[in-house]
Amino acid sequence: MENEFLYMSAVVAVGWAVTYAMRALPFVLFSGRGGKSLPPAVERFGNLISPVIIACLVVYSYSGLQWRTAWPYLAGAITVGLHLWKGNPLASIVAGTALYMCLVSCGCQTAPDEVTYDKAHPLLRFSSRGLQFRGEFVSARKAVDLLEKNRVPKDSVIYILVDPDYDYVHDRTMWKFQHYYLGSAGYRRTMLVHERRAEAAAAPERHAGRAAGTVEPPPPAQDVRRRGPEGAGRGR
Amino acid sequence: MSRRFSQVAPRERRAVLRRAFMDSLPVLMGYTTMGFVAGVLLAAKAGLHHAPVWAFLTSAACVSGTFNFAIVQPVAERVSIWSVALLVLGINFRYAFYGFTMLARWRGVPLFRKLFLIHTLADENYALEAACRYKSPDANLLYCLALSAMNISYWILGTTAGAVSVAVLEGALDPDVIRRHTDGMEFAMVALFLVIFTDQIRELLRHGK
Repeated sequence: MENEFLYMSAVVAVGWAVTYAMRALPFVLFSGRGGKSLPPAVERFGNLISPVIIACLVVYSYSGLQWRTAWPYLAGAITVGLHLWKGNPLASIVAGTALYMCLVSCGCQTAPDEVTYDKAHPLLRFSSRGLQFRGEFVSARKAVDLLEKNRVPKDSVIYILVDPDYDYVHDRTMWKFQHYYLGSAGYRRTMLVHERRAEAAAAPERHAGRAAGTVEPPPPAQDVRRRGPEGAGRGR
Repeated sequence: MSRRFSQVAPRERRAVLRRAFMDSLPVLMGYTTMGFVAGVLLAAKAGLHHAPVWAFLTSAACVSGTFNFAIVQPVAERVSIWSVALLVLGINFRYAFYGFTMLARWRGVPLFRKLFLIHTLADENYALEAACRYKSPDANLLYCLALSAMNISYWILGTTAGAVSVAVLEGALDPDVIRRHTDGMEFAMVALFLVIFTDQIRELLRHGK
């Protein structure tokens, strides 16, 4: 709670300071010049740089959408087309957003496939390179979203595979992920599984003919000593 | 009304204020709806406990629609404050060029009013204030001040109302339901950027010719 207060206060302060500084810049720079116009180089730079920045923003904000599907691009094309045609910003934005919301929520999405999330098939994996959801690197937020999208029940135990080289004593990311992201989404039961253990649990199933999709190959022998305590849940 | 505006005849003063209000009506439509969406997004997607407070503060402190939209995803991911600063610098860099138009027009404006006008120099305010041409600088200033004050209050009202409505509904509804129904709403920000981008490209092409 206090963390949120500090963080958001900082966001507000930084947002205000930077925005105000940008707006005040010409008044500070050219206060003495009075009505004289700008140097042409500045004007050209200004005309060029802002579309570039906005283009970067478009790309960045697409990463928050379902950018692997065609829907955001379709809705984007409609938005731009409508704006070129009618020239009413509000109408284009509202129409594009409504269309995108329909596309995303009205079943135009690939159905989530069945996922197994037992001890032998942990969905999440932590290594020194970051967090993976079924073998794909994702942000903490995205991982929680994916759990919810795949309809993993809130009361089920979330097994997290921990890579032998992940230093969870000093690195706080996993702790934050468990307690902040998973906890606030309602996933309060987590269990850490170390690679060797998962391997052992998966072995009988493998003999039974089931593919062990998400389990990693066993760690090299020299890494064994660096493993942490076996299968410890977080006892905090 | 202070001594400056007493130089504007009461009749003209009323006319100026009426015109400012009429000009702000389209902005009222845009700002309240977009602000509402921004507030809903902040409350539903950013994972904050007191979203209405933050919606109010962010919209009042940086009168910038793009900021309110762009901040949702980084706040949800709790990115570092330096990344936030860089992001804000990137999205609001364009404001540095708005002031150039206003330099001559706001010459001689008392300090605090000038600071307020700079604070509220958002896209819509800029567009309207740059288009307005009263002969007397006092009438001009009155118009700018009235318009800015009205427009930012619409924006603050919109964002706060959006965040409050989500906070109220959250008590009554399952958060999952809210999340599902606001799914896709984040496209509003992308659409806003696309529209700004389209305008800028069109402007650039017109200048090139």
